[in-house]
Amino acid sequence: MRPRISAGIWIILALIVLFAVAALLAPWVSPHDPLRQSLLLRLRPPGSATASAGVFPLGTDDLGRDLLSRILYGARASFAVAILSVSVSLVVGTLLGLVAGWFRGWTATLIMRFVDAMLSVPAILLAVLTVAVLGPSFVTLILVLGFTRWPRYTRVAYASTLQVAALPFIAAAEMSGAGSGRILLRHVLPNIAGPLLVVATSEFGLMILFEAGLSFLGLGIQPPAPSWGSIMSAGRQYVERAWWLTVFPGLGLFTLVVCVNVLGDWLRDRLDPRSAGR
Amino acid sequence: MSGPGHDALVVADLAVHYPARNGPPVRAVDGVSFALARNETLGLVGESGCGKSTVARAIVGLQPPTRGSVKVDGAEIVGASRAALRAARARMQMVFQDPVTSLNPRMTVGEAVGEPLLVRGIARGAALRERVAGLLTEAGLRPEDAGRYPHQFSGGQRQRIVIARALALRPALLVCDEPVSALDVSVRAQILNLLVDLQRAHGMACLFVSHDLAVVRHVCDRVAVMYLGRLAELAPRDALYAEPRHPYTRALLAAVPEPDPVVQRAKPRVPLVGEIPSPAHMPSGCRFHTRCPMTQAICRTVEPEWRQVGSSLVACHFAG
Amino acid sequence: MLLAPAPFVPALFAPALAVHDLNLLIDGAAVVDGVDFAVASGEVMALVGESGCGKSLTAHAIMRLLPDAVRQGRGRIELDGENLSALSERQMRRVRGRRISMIFQEPQAALDPLSTVGAQVAEATGLPRSQAREAVLRMLAEVGISDPARRIDQYPFELSGGMCQRVMIASALIARPAVLIADEPTTALDVTIQAQILDLLRRLAVERGTAIVLITHDMGVVADIADRVAVMYAGRIAETGDTAAIFAAPRHPYTALLLAALPRLTDVPRSRLAVIEGRVPAPAEFPPGCRFAGRCPLADDHCRAEVPPLRDVGSGHLSACWHSEAVR
Repeated sequence: MRPRISAGIWIILALIVLFAVAALLAPWVSPHDPLRQSLLLRLRPPGSATASAGVFPLGTDDLGRDLLSRILYGARASFAVAILSVSVSLVVGTLLGLVAGWFRGWTATLIMRFVDAMLSVPAILLAVLTVAVLGPSFVTLILVLGFTRWPRYTRVAYASTLQVAALPFIAAAEMSGAGSGRILLRHVLPNIAGPLLVVATSEFGLMILFEAGLSFLGLGIQPPAPSWGSIMSAGRQYVERAWWLTVFPGLGLFTLVVCVNVLGDWLRDRLDPRSAGR
Repeated sequence: MSGPGHDALVVADLAVHYPARNGPPVRAVDGVSFALARNETLGLVGESGCGKSTVARAIVGLQPPTRGSVKVDGAEIVGASRAALRAARARMQMVFQDPVTSLNPRMTVGEAVGEPLLVRGIARGAALRERVAGLLTEAGLRPEDAGRYPHQFSGGQRQRIVIARALALRPALLVCDEPVSALDVSVRAQILNLLVDLQRAHGMACLFVSHDLAVVRHVCDRVAVMYLGRLAELAPRDALYAEPRHPYTRALLAAVPEPDPVVQRAKPRVPLVGEIPSPAHMPSGCRFHTRCPMTQAICRTVEPEWRQVGSSLVACHFAG
Repeated sequence: MLLAPAPFVPALFAPALAVHDLNLLIDGAAVVDGVDFAVASGEVMALVGESGCGKSLTAHAIMRLLPDAVRQGRGRIELDGENLSALSERQMRRVRGRRISMIFQEPQAALDPLSTVGAQVAEATGLPRSQAREAVLRMLAEVGISDPARRIDQYPFELSGGMCQRVMIASALIARPAVLIADEPTTALDVTIQAQILDLLRRLAVERGTAIVLITHDMGVVADIADRVAVMYAGRIAETGDTAAIFAAPRHPYTALLLAALPRLTDVPRSRLAVIEGRVPAPAEFPPGCRFAGRCPLADDHCRAEVPPLRDVGSGHLSACWHSEAVR
């Protein structure tokens, strides 16, 4: 019998869904326009209220913009970047891993050596260099993250494909007359999806961190568009006067990434037959 | 093309050698020849590592052989192009040992059984569903099982699904690799009865690979005994069990524990000393000489010829 | 091998191991239900049945090595008259390997790959190294390992499956335990090697007076070496008694069908084998009466309603069937 989903995991899932819904509905739930500046309302502490502009639950930033609204819109950026870059690297990496694991021989040698080479270059360095060359933009960010992060998927897809390909039902499919394409898509892929999902989850958390990191350095989402990284970057100068500018986005980032990672660990335990029943 | 006048399967001097990291290649299968007529079931028995499963895989083209020839229904498999091999595989199918890993867990039973018909463009849509329902019924399952997934079935039922899939293309040759070894006794009997019925009904040739001599005796017309990559003896069933000619066959038969204490405890033991040598370090002369109770000097140096003794073919200097 | 079956004399029977009314539960379902049996010194008692019948769980319960999901309910396990269930985990650790040992189906997996044959066999002796080596060499020779002086310093991967099983047996028996539990000890081995290992177990039982509980699914193995047998089905003992009596005239329909379902070297080829329809019920769906009723050709309403007790059907032969007289 499958172990029941524990209360802890329900809480984690609920938090992630809360973040996702908040990001999705940012235009409707934000109390203010995240881009609207006001010199009169600079660096107001959390809970400040004014007669004309209303309440600022998490305060305002150095340009008088509502922090809560900026964080909600920032979550949008985080999710968009993470979803798109994970999708790109998942598709590219899985495809290469499947091909390497199925055809083996020199094809596999070529692909897997390339994977080794990619993994030996620090990803963040590669990302910084590419952005520096191409110029920072949302699309660049997706491309950079998507095309530097696929090797992990390739490794997992390759190893899993080797394992599945040795099973009798694959031999039976060959005996049936199914071609490589059908075997890979209908027989291998559905049976290696579990471990890939685990990698994708842990990468999802990592991508949120990368986006924040690159935006913090000014290489990601470009101001004035809000991103947790750029909010913290801007708030850095005011740490002593306006702690909320760094603490709230940091707290959001930390909570979301921890939740995603815990979910990833849980998925791994659940999907990995070796750790089943422990 | 297929037609009368040739055997369903002809295997000639088949060899499968695996490269070893250091030292000489592992000779898993090393010169095996036999033929199988339509309607006939040939048992291939031997202990683990004797190469019997490798022979089975080489016959269906899942393992490229080092040398030799495999003709299924007249068509050569060894060295065949992808297209030719795919065409030839319509004439042969395989049943595997483990019914759990023989079925894709993410595919319904109907999809699995219908796959050979679908990918070869033989049937689709309603016609395919009807064919699948017929195959499931033939294998002792219900047509409505088509929509369920393999994990909802017991081991015996899964083996029925595998058999239904193997029958979809009406093969001339069915290769069964230990088809009942993973099953419990009561279920084993069901599957053996089914295989006997289906083989009779369709007139297929059947190669039945097994380590279980009692099971092989039950389903086979002729039996080949394999030891360390070679055939030791090949004989009609009754001759092999009543009058085994090769000392290895004798030892194997003596070692099978009969489920009857009176018979079993009265049975003379043929103590077979030692362990099976590794195929990477093949003994010289007769491969069996290291464990044979009747080894003479000649056995250590001269490989025995494959010769006819009575109705049996046997590779032993002293068989007679 | 010609063996006189050990006579079963209840009055004089002082068992080395006795299991009374053992109940094991998974999620509240009794996967082992009221299992009783006893083994005397020098005797081989087989627990036989198909997968899921509870034979292996029973063995693990004796060793107190049950998986986490399994809980022991009622039941008492006695070793030489001492109640093992009353022992603490620490005391039990001293019992295991010294007074009761266990060997497993996959000898290669059960041995520690990183330590030598000698070290593993010596572990149970508790002797200092120099003395232990002598004892280990003697034990390895006793279990039929050729050239023990060389083998003692080898690692498990250098040995074949049959050799590894001999090493397991050596390490299980070196401390002279009263009871050896052999859980499918030859299932992973080839028939010629199986014959060697069975001969070895038989000889050790006789020579050392070890009581052996043999867990197996193979009726041939039972016929070969067991003095007595308990046939298990869905967590209960269906039938128990002398091996010769049970094979000659089974008095439970399950045993009878099981024996008729086996292809033999003596039957008519391609004859129809007896079939037991359906499948073993899942523990959550155990019926209230006889657990075999759903598949039994003799079952009636009585069988479905009331659990048949194990009843004596003649000279220590017990059958848990309301229709044991009708079984042929």
